Amino acid sequence: MAERWDRERVLALAPDAPSQRTAQSLASGRAWPATGAGTGALWGECRGSAAAPYRAVVDLSGPAYRCSCPSRKFPCKHVLALLLLWAEGTVQDDAAGPPDWAASWLTARTARASRAPSGEPAEPKDAKAAARRAEQREIRVAAGLAELDRWLCDQARQGLAASQQAGYAHWDDIAARMVDAQAPGLAERLRALASVPHSGAGWDGRLLEEYALLHLLTVAYRRQGELPPPLRETVRSRIGFSLRQADVLAGVLPNGQPVRDHWQVLARRDLEQDRIRARRTWLRGRETGRDALLLSFAAAGQPLDDSLAVGAGADADLVFYPGAVPLRAVVLARHHDCDGGPPDGGSVAGLLAGYAAALAADPWLDGWPTVLEITPARAPVPAVRDADGGALPLHPGAGDCWPLFALSAGRPVTLAGEWTPRGLWPLTAWDQGGKAVAL
Amino acid sequence: MSIWPDLVTASLIGTERAEVPAASVPGLPDPGGAASDIPGQDDPAALLLDRAALLTVARRGGRPAGHAEPLPAAEPDPAPAVSPAAGRRLARMLGGEHPDLLAEWLGATVARERRVPPHLLPALLDRARRVSPSDPQVRRLSAEAGGSRARWLAGLNPDWKFVTAYTDAAEDAWRRGSKSQRRGYLTALRARDPDAARELITESWEAAGPERVMFLSVLANTGLSLADEPLLEAALDERDAEVRGWAAHLLARLPGSALGRRMAQRALGCVRIDPGVLSDHLVMSPPVQWDIAMHRDGLSPRGGGSLQQLDDRTHLLLEILARTPLCTWTQEFGRTAEQILGLLPGPWAPVLFTGWSRAAMAQRDQEWMIALINWALAGGPTGTRFGAETLRQLARRVDPERCAREATARRGGEIPPPIRDAVSVLRFRYDMLKELGP
Repeated sequence: MAERWDRERVLALAPDAPSQRTAQSLASGRAWPATGAGTGALWGECRGSAAAPYRAVVDLSGPAYRCSCPSRKFPCKHVLALLLLWAEGTVQDDAAGPPDWAASWLTARTARASRAPSGEPAEPKDAKAAARRAEQREIRVAAGLAELDRWLCDQARQGLAASQQAGYAHWDDIAARMVDAQAPGLAERLRALASVPHSGAGWDGRLLEEYALLHLLTVAYRRQGELPPPLRETVRSRIGFSLRQADVLAGVLPNGQPVRDHWQVLARRDLEQDRIRARRTWLRGRETGRDALLLSFAAAGQPLDDSLAVGAGADADLVFYPGAVPLRAVVLARHHDCDGGPPDGGSVAGLLAGYAAALAADPWLDGWPTVLEITPARAPVPAVRDADGGALPLHPGAGDCWPLFALSAGRPVTLAGEWTPRGLWPLTAWDQGGKAVAL
Repeated sequence: MSIWPDLVTASLIGTERAEVPAASVPGLPDPGGAASDIPGQDDPAALLLDRAALLTVARRGGRPAGHAEPLPAAEPDPAPAVSPAAGRRLARMLGGEHPDLLAEWLGATVARERRVPPHLLPALLDRARRVSPSDPQVRRLSAEAGGSRARWLAGLNPDWKFVTAYTDAAEDAWRRGSKSQRRGYLTALRARDPDAARELITESWEAAGPERVMFLSVLANTGLSLADEPLLEAALDERDAEVRGWAAHLLARLPGSALGRRMAQRALGCVRIDPGVLSDHLVMSPPVQWDIAMHRDGLSPRGGGSLQQLDDRTHLLLEILARTPLCTWTQEFGRTAEQILGLLPGPWAPVLFTGWSRAAMAQRDQEWMIALINWALAGGPTGTRFGAETLRQLARRVDPERCAREATARRGGEIPPPIRDAVSVLRFRYDMLKELGP
């Protein structure tokens, strides 16, 4: 029998907070007249609103789940509740093995697993057709960017004052045109602008900044032939050209050699955008001092990759995506887990100098990882302050940050976060015992 | 770089009507300053965006560190935080799981001289702020379990001011403070010096008016003793029904009180053991009438909630049982709680179960609570609504270390929901107390 999971691990699988809550109430037991466990699997019948009980089965090796309920959440509350019952020791091992309805799914899964070839989908068959498609896309993107630049210039010509009265459609329309032009990175940036005119004092400056940087991007794409290759990659990735992860992992791209280090998990931030959930995981190499960003995505309602917990560490090979400031990376091989421990915190001046250097290479950079040794302060706005007295405001969107204040109690703490032009977004702090606390 | 505001102003008005201000960053060429072959360069709108891009990046990269006033540090707190597992459970409770057990978690933490993990303090203080001020336990315990950090936070956020009402409550708070500050002062004093608190109550009683109920609720929470009896017995003659109710409730909890003896006398007239042919059994004869002395002792023939279904005599019996010292039964019948429960007559079982359970909870008699809950978990009379409610409360008060945490009975058959819930609460509390350590 597989080693029993703890409750946190089960709850981490939940696609969202409401699922966690309903699963916990369902796991109090009365709804489960029959459950069992054995050979790496769990199964159970749950009495729901329907006449027939829902039948949930879990293959712990995947983990993979199946439930007869109509829920579109995955895993559904029944599966989660079954796992919770198992985690607390309520599900008994059943030597007789799974009932037929569970056994048939489990055997079908095993058969599929042995049949399926491992690894990536095959290369596109027709290289010539692929090249033609890529060429067509360049043409479409170029036309789209020209249209965007005309739109941006129109805004500057007519004045931004009108944007405060404009509805979402104002930005959604041009964003939709960028989707049609196969430039999804721009579309995302444009859609986010709709909230800027209502973001309080200084909105006009922030909107101008964003328009100016988009304009810079259209110019950079038009003149990409003159750019050094890493910066060209940065420009293309910001527009929305994505590299195949397989190519990155294969190391065929320039500077694509893997970097092996003890990577400490600094922080994690989940964002929901456009029916997609994204998890940003920040790592820092203990030996190289390099920062790395792992991105993982899941459709709304699906669980995100949970393999790297905040405060943990792993000895791993990372391959970086090419770019002027290579941050995004992907794990090539994970050798073994190692102790995380608090990273060394730097000063505010060090952060600002590093950020300036990075901006010089990639002017579109917005979230910059940092670890600081600071004390939170409140006057005049929530801020952090280092031993030299240098201070940075906390991001207004991060709220009151009371947990950070409570951890510090007026004394210095090590804090990891993302530095943005609007302020520092606090993500992880290490308490006096050296334990990481997600904020 | 004062050019930026000029650029923003120009962009607001639009280049149709505004000039594009010149912009330069030392060491870099000015966009639009030199001849360029880029198409569209002569468009003032594009020029504005070029210059804005240059300044945006220059401003972001050249941003100097700001200034912030440092905060005074909290005084050091020698008490260690609870274990990580205990902290995770607190986070679960603050997230909505078994919120009614929060006071117990806090009480156990305070008793072990441990502290709430710092990062959970804000959520805890927010929860304590939202609980009704008439239930001061969660607030007081949160303040205590938060230690010096909670006081430090309360100094930063006025929402959490109640913390200081319990920790550095000065006499000033008593004389001039609001009702909740007075409650805070009295609670702290009662915990420190029960006799002084009682004297303060006695001398303030006449002038207190509606605050008398608050006084009694403070007495209920800490260190009730026979020394409080004269005050409570006198309160039975008050006009305010709520004051009388509290006084009767507290006297019934107090071992050795005169009210307890009066109740025992009434109770023994209602319940006796009848030696039967096959086995002994209990015979019940509920009181025939409700008299003025019963009224004074807080007994009422009508119950609220799920007890409304009982007739007057049965309800009176239940109330008498609930206020009778439990040693009355073990002494009179010469049997243990468990043996007495073995004699329960079917139709009366729910009433006896609820009456005795209330008595056991009020008198904090673990022996009886354990006997009662084990009996209920084994399939006792929890089919009535008030029986189920009683089981719910028992599961939250009995020592989970010493009672069954499994519903062993009716294996294979269906286990009724109240029993399922009780088992889950017992398990939760067992794990909770184990995590907090000895």
